[in-house]
Amino acid sequence: MSALSPRHVWTYRAVFVALALFLITFKLLPLNLASSGLPGPDLLVLLAFAWTVRQPAVVPLGLILGVFLLADFLFIRPPGLWTALVIVACEFLRRRRLTMTEFPFLVEWGAVGVAVLGMVLLNRLALWVLLADLDSLGLSLAHAIVTVAVYPLVVVVSKYVFGLRKLGPAELEAL
Amino acid sequence: MARDSYDDSYARPVRRLLVAVLVLLLLSLVLLWRIDNPRVERIRAAILDRYVPNMEWVMAPVTGIARMAEGFQSYTRLFEQNQELRRELQQMRAWREAALQLEQENARLLDLNRVQLDPELTFVTGIVLADSGSPFRRSVLLNVGARDGILDGWATMDGLGVVGRISGVGERTSRVLLLTDAASRIPVTIQPSGQTALLMGDNSATPVLDFVDDPGDVAAGDRIITSGDDGLFPPGLLVGQVVFTSDQLMRARLSADLQGLSFMRVMRSHPGTTLDDPAGVVGPPWPPAGRRVDEDGTLVPDDAARAEVGVDGETDEVGADEVGAVDQ
Repeated sequence: MSALSPRHVWTYRAVFVALALFLITFKLLPLNLASSGLPGPDLLVLLAFAWTVRQPAVVPLGLILGVFLLADFLFIRPPGLWTALVIVACEFLRRRRLTMTEFPFLVEWGAVGVAVLGMVLLNRLALWVLLADLDSLGLSLAHAIVTVAVYPLVVVVSKYVFGLRKLGPAELEAL
Repeated sequence: MARDSYDDSYARPVRRLLVAVLVLLLLSLVLLWRIDNPRVERIRAAILDRYVPNMEWVMAPVTGIARMAEGFQSYTRLFEQNQELRRELQQMRAWREAALQLEQENARLLDLNRVQLDPELTFVTGIVLADSGSPFRRSVLLNVGARDGILDGWATMDGLGVVGRISGVGERTSRVLLLTDAASRIPVTIQPSGQTALLMGDNSATPVLDFVDDPGDVAAGDRIITSGDDGLFPPGLLVGQVVFTSDQLMRARLSADLQGLSFMRVMRSHPGTTLDDPAGVVGPPWPPAGRRVDEDGTLVPDDAARAEVGVDGETDEVGADEVGAVDQ
């Protein structure tokens, strides 16, 4: 099955939706009621980023919009703000993915780190402008750092468990 | 191949435009949320209401396995636990004796005073469906909602102490804002000194007690109960005990076991304040008694009311002049 055939793309889109719903549901389960300390990584964002860099056709705009808007509503976040940031960040990565395929993984990791950090800071800025309640800065930064640190793990799982490989420049040029 | 068509040079501006429009729409949704919060929160409650009960089938096995794993861990400490429980049981027997005597005495005293207990304080019990938990937000979802008569603002307790208050009601679910959430503030009384304070959550396990009149009068271990000053919570519900932490703050150790929440009582107390008006100004009634607002928006004495009052017409005139001066 070619990496660009419609069947392949639609299968992975379904897998993406299923994974996203699983992650959202798992986060909602009443398991860690009183756990404090380090905030967990935002796996949903990492999944969207890793798959956008690998095979952008698998995560179209509409899918990201739907999944993240649902997450915004379910996680009691300001609806729309985080979704907008994710969409902008995905566009940023999508436009730079050709350079990422040529350079080692560290470059990709760096780009994702910049994107996540930028999102967290822009989120804070927007909430500050809107005079909404702000989370503590330390906690938000810890959240961003943990999220960036877990990125290679998400990439490894996408590659070896879900078999989502990076499209080379040759294949992309054929488009 | 046209599949990946957004990479074509002619499609790129179109895509950029699409992204811009989408982001603008999303940002206007955020603005709408900021301006007309109650309405958007109602939409959120409706979405939660549709999503959360549907995940019950996946919830049951996963939570079951997690709880089993926790239970299995405790097997390893079985012997110690047994010893500990025996010791505690011995202490509890002594307490039980004391409690029985106190109960009898209390009943006698109540009988002497002909006290009637508040009949309105009944409760609805709900099961915890989900937590929207992160270190940033402390809230859980219950499986009771508007169809069970739940209203915004009602207090919820586990068997022992206050857990939080209802904040957001859907048709079948409702959200409970825990006392530990950074947005939670409730007025409390510290016994036995009787001082009032504000219990403010800060996302840690022990909320902060602030605005205490005389902190010197409060000792560690004092009981904290709700004061009922907010008109939402019934007075006298147990909240927890005072502890002093190393950062010199007065905090509350909650009596409710927030770690193992599974059942919760929603105290059916008072109608509570509803948040239907998005931007009302809190203040005295407007216009004041005996005046009315004319077409220009200035305050003039109300003739009808003046005819009734009659005697203090002169003070009314002075008041109107003052208001006029402020307007200019």
